[in-house]
Amino acid sequence: MKKMLMKISYCLAVAVFLCTTAAAHAGLAIIAHPSNPIAGITADEATKIYLGKTKSFANGRRVVPVDQREGTRSHKKFYKSVVKKDDRALKSYWSKLLFTGKAKPPEVIGDDQAVKKWVAEHRNGLGYVDARVLDRSVKVLLVVP
Amino acid sequence: MKKQLVSALGLSLCLGAGAAWAEGITFNGFLTAGATYGDSEVGTQDGNINNNVEFTNDTRIGIQLSAEVNPRVDVTAQLLARAKEDNSDVVADWAFVSYTLTDPLKVRAGKLKLPTYLISDYIEVGYAYPWIRPPQEVYFSNPISTINGVDLLYNAYFGDFFILIQPYFGQSKGDEALIPQEALPLLPVPPPAGTVAYLDFTAEEMKGINFSVGTDFFTLRAGYLETKVNAAFQGVDNDDVEFYSLGATLDWRNIVIYAESFERKIDGFANVAFPNQRGSYGTLGYRIGKFLPHVTVALLEPYDQKPFNPPAGYGQALEQESVTVGLRYELGSGAALKIEAQRVEPEAGTRGLLIGNPNDPALDDPSKSVNIYSIAIDVVF
Repeated sequence: MKKMLMKISYCLAVAVFLCTTAAAHAGLAIIAHPSNPIAGITADEATKIYLGKTKSFANGRRVVPVDQREGTRSHKKFYKSVVKKDDRALKSYWSKLLFTGKAKPPEVIGDDQAVKKWVAEHRNGLGYVDARVLDRSVKVLLVVP
Repeated sequence: MKKQLVSALGLSLCLGAGAAWAEGITFNGFLTAGATYGDSEVGTQDGNINNNVEFTNDTRIGIQLSAEVNPRVDVTAQLLARAKEDNSDVVADWAFVSYTLTDPLKVRAGKLKLPTYLISDYIEVGYAYPWIRPPQEVYFSNPISTINGVDLLYNAYFGDFFILIQPYFGQSKGDEALIPQEALPLLPVPPPAGTVAYLDFTAEEMKGINFSVGTDFFTLRAGYLETKVNAAFQGVDNDDVEFYSLGATLDWRNIVIYAESFERKIDGFANVAFPNQRGSYGTLGYRIGKFLPHVTVALLEPYDQKPFNPPAGYGQALEQESVTVGLRYELGSGAALKIEAQRVEPEAGTRGLLIGNPNDPALDDPSKSVNIYSIAIDVVF
């Protein structure tokens, strides 16, 4: 009984610790649909998908990435830390592909909540959200601190 | 008719918003608003840059609509209105259907913009390059800008490298070529020198290939295009035209480099009006925060010119040299302000790409060169 209580309190402590650290360091989570069997994604793979260089996950499943609108914290963090392109470079990159009919940028869905909801509803979806909005409706593939 | 097309597209867009099949429609655009001033009474050969402040040379707007019909089929239409054209008439600059054969391989059919040179297929999108207008010594050399036909687009990525192979095939009808000043006397009713006149022509059996390799910050490109041109002008009849080009671009750390060269070979009577030419340019820029100062040196010269039995005085290649200094400034997201000063100097007694020789002693104020000042705002949305 005592051991059980110890375990519970230990678990609670860990949970509290995890929650507080998550809140203190708002990580960015790259998320997919829960049915996607893929275990994870690298920043490099995510970059290639978001720049239209590949149309599938590493496991071969077709991928449909969605973007947040410009100006959200997550959008800034994603392009700064993962894709590593500034706004000018990104706009210039897509202008050349979009207006020559070669490729289209990912669809813009909105903010963290809207992207989470969209990914939860699309089997091939890929998105990025602030780790604080995560719940069981989506699968986390990578957390960028 | 053109207006009807636009309103029809607009209407279908509005209706589409409520229809399930139109879920995948995207709408994008680009705009350039620019002004120019030349310090000589001799302007550019199309008359758009002259001794007044003019707003027509660079000003244009493009609207692109694209729709995903299904995961393999896309349709795209890009409508362009240039201030240069009469009353900003709208033309469909791109209108094609694209079918994805396997992931990096697409076939596209319809009206496509020719990738003659490095930036030819996005030449209207000023935001995508450093200058207000790309060096005319190269980019003015091909009056054919679109093709009605098909292309194959293989655009694959291997690690950090990409490879693009784009063969294309088709024809072009109703294109207009600016008639060089030297050829005006050959018209049935010769207009006076200094007249800006255009000639309708068709380009048949157009075949070309655009090949490039590179990384995220470097591109090396080679291109070839051949066609047969026909025009109601003297004896222009299925005359062979060939373009060869080589170019490279670098955008690494703060350094921006563009370098390109082309050779144009034209046979038959077309050669009399459009002689063989070679053109090259090099651009070097350095980014300092939101600023990109850059300098360009460009050259237009003769190339292997063997005129086809020309009437005396015709078939002479044009020669000019120009130096351009410019500054691009980022106006926040998706907008840039550009200013440029350019010195254009025709060489070898020719008029270069100007409407006349600025050093003509008959002028009030003859000068070896013409200075052109330009300002523009480029936006993508």
